[in-house]
Amino acid sequence: MGRLLQFAALALAALPTVAGEREPGAKLKVVTTIPDLADIVREVGGERVEVTSIARGKENLHNVISRPSHLVALSKADILVQVGLSMEMGFIPALLEGCGNPQVRPGGKGFINASDGWQPIQVPAVLTRQGGDLHPQGNPHMNIDPRAGRHFALRIAEGLSVAAPEWKAEFETRRDAYLARLERAEKRWLEFAREWRGRKFVVYHQEFNYLAEVYGFQIVANLEVKPGIQPTPNHLAQVIESMKREQCTVIATALWSKNDFVARVAEATGAKVVELPNMCGGIAGTDSWIAMMDLVHERLAAAYGTPVPPVPPVQ
Amino acid sequence: MNPTSAIRFAAALFLAPLALAQNDNPAAGKDNLPPPSNLVGPGPLTMPASQAAGQPNSQGTTFVTPGMPTLGRRVSSGQVTRFTNDFNPAFSFIIDATGQVSEAENGADGADVFLRTFEIGGNAWVDPNAWAYFTAVAEDEGIGVEEAAVHYTGFGNKNVVRAGRFFVDFGKQMQTHVHDLRTYERPLVLREYLGAELGGDGLQWDSWTTLGDATVVRWSLGAFASLLGEGDEDADPANTPFASVVEGTKREDDFSYTARLTGFTEVGERGTLQLGASARLLPSYELGLDAGAIGADLSNTVWGLDATYGWVGETGIDSWTFGGEMLFNTGDVGAELTGADDANPAHYTVVDDSLTGFYAYGDYAWDRFNAVGAQFSSAEVVGDERSELEVYYTRLFSEFHRLRFVLGASDSDVDGSGSKFLVQYTTILGAHGHGVNW
Repeated sequence: MGRLLQFAALALAALPTVAGEREPGAKLKVVTTIPDLADIVREVGGERVEVTSIARGKENLHNVISRPSHLVALSKADILVQVGLSMEMGFIPALLEGCGNPQVRPGGKGFINASDGWQPIQVPAVLTRQGGDLHPQGNPHMNIDPRAGRHFALRIAEGLSVAAPEWKAEFETRRDAYLARLERAEKRWLEFAREWRGRKFVVYHQEFNYLAEVYGFQIVANLEVKPGIQPTPNHLAQVIESMKREQCTVIATALWSKNDFVARVAEATGAKVVELPNMCGGIAGTDSWIAMMDLVHERLAAAYGTPVPPVPPVQ
Repeated sequence: MNPTSAIRFAAALFLAPLALAQNDNPAAGKDNLPPPSNLVGPGPLTMPASQAAGQPNSQGTTFVTPGMPTLGRRVSSGQVTRFTNDFNPAFSFIIDATGQVSEAENGADGADVFLRTFEIGGNAWVDPNAWAYFTAVAEDEGIGVEEAAVHYTGFGNKNVVRAGRFFVDFGKQMQTHVHDLRTYERPLVLREYLGAELGGDGLQWDSWTTLGDATVVRWSLGAFASLLGEGDEDADPANTPFASVVEGTKREDDFSYTARLTGFTEVGERGTLQLGASARLLPSYELGLDAGAIGADLSNTVWGLDATYGWVGETGIDSWTFGGEMLFNTGDVGAELTGADDANPAHYTVVDDSLTGFYAYGDYAWDRFNAVGAQFSSAEVVGDERSELEVYYTRLFSEFHRLRFVLGASDSDVDGSGSKFLVQYTTILGAHGHGVNW
């Protein structure tokens, strides 16, 4: 039995010590779930932050595959920023459980849930798997809402200030500068949308619903039977019939959802397929959230043949 | 008892009732209750059903007098009662059904339909430092507990101690329950050397560290009361040798041990490579028949070397996975009949040998719902050499609903060849998960 006790003692002695607090003055190591949040953290945090994004921009947000670097980054992070609303349920809970860093778990001082305080749409009245992959708190794709940048910036500035109160004033100054830039962009986006109310499109997945809500687009149908459930032939036939009846000529997809089903429906209806970014970085020229939203508006304007307002001069 | 201990004992006896009384009243010693904003975050403040109901505490009896056994009573915080619970575990149910048509040279032909697995599982955090789960499965007679373990994470950093009954950390597939496998069957070589499923009652320490920004290394050490693989349930112990270990309390050589070291790293923009080495040690076991022992104080070690490469497309929905494991079964690997009477222990000889086997597979998923693949496995066993090939197509209707078509072929020097066609239909109700570590 002596050897057993020796084994146990050795094992306990080998346990590494608990990770220490961030050294005063050191940069905040921030991990974000999507590049949109990474961009806004950089805007608000400036030189005080070092940012890594888990998703790169082209993925289906519900199906991001965890990699070793994600585990490493989270294990060393001071802050994790997620969208929330269960958007990252497919990968964040497992990474948080595995990373061994309690500071970035919900409730820790390094955890920022960027959707806190947001009013989500499509909150299910009844939770049943009959509804497909439902998100209990509502539609999580808020990052494609033109108002989301403002909301994210406020939440991120708050969260960074909690983690590093010594830089609070600096974060607030940078946040305000970003909000001023956003205001100019938002004015232009509203110009785009003057002729969009009542226009129709079809989506593969319910990821552009906030956009539709804000500008008054009508979403005629979803190609998925229910969120996360692949189309059946019967359902596709119904979608095609609805599009013809409603004279809907646009199918909005993300990169991941521009698939054979979309091609089949486009061929049957003659509709245009508009590929929109579902997060920053997935399409060239969308490295920042404002640039991504610019592209979303430009592509929709091109699809509907509506005017493109001029880009305001940089101030 | 030294004087200090005696004083502590006396103090504990004297102060315990006071402590209990204070715990019963959370507001004791305070002038005012803290404001609600200090209690919860944003959102409506609602009283848990258990508090509203005014029910007795969940841990213990309805009314407690000093000295009564009361697990958890002293730290009661009132969130649960014996009749209401706002912190229920997540439960799941698995139904795994199979339809099969087979052809074999040894005569095992025909068709069958059967419920392969009905599993009930539960998972919950115990407190901030531990979570626990259980997996129970329906067996021919009653319910069997396959796993029931606690993961203690309170050492901080990246250390986890697991205690209870759980599947061993060996290679990439032995931790996984059969209904969760990529293929219908666990690879032949694992079944032959380790058992169709290998769980044990024991303790395991898991830890990991980083090497650079894109590589992590994990290791585990486990000690178990017994890690003998499952025997053939249909075999008659009167004339089929079975392995056993010392029952009850043991010396260190009577335990079984596991060890695993694995690392995974990124290869290019979208590839991940994992390499690992595993061992399962049986320092002492016996082989016997009902009529008596064939051999005592035997030992056996299985070593494994595994490699897995995964590639995921840029949208995260298409993927390629290739993997394999080489196994070495060393020491006393079984018994060979040398006489005429297979019910007589004296007619068996223990084989001390080194056997090798492997499996390799490839899998391609072109979207989230569809995958095809093939797995080949070959193993040397005492007196035979066997191999198996499985080709499959898996269709997921959703995260909780799966249909799989399988073509299987097997070959054995002793039993000849065989083939089968299977349809596996699996549904998951609820929040399913096992304590599988990477």
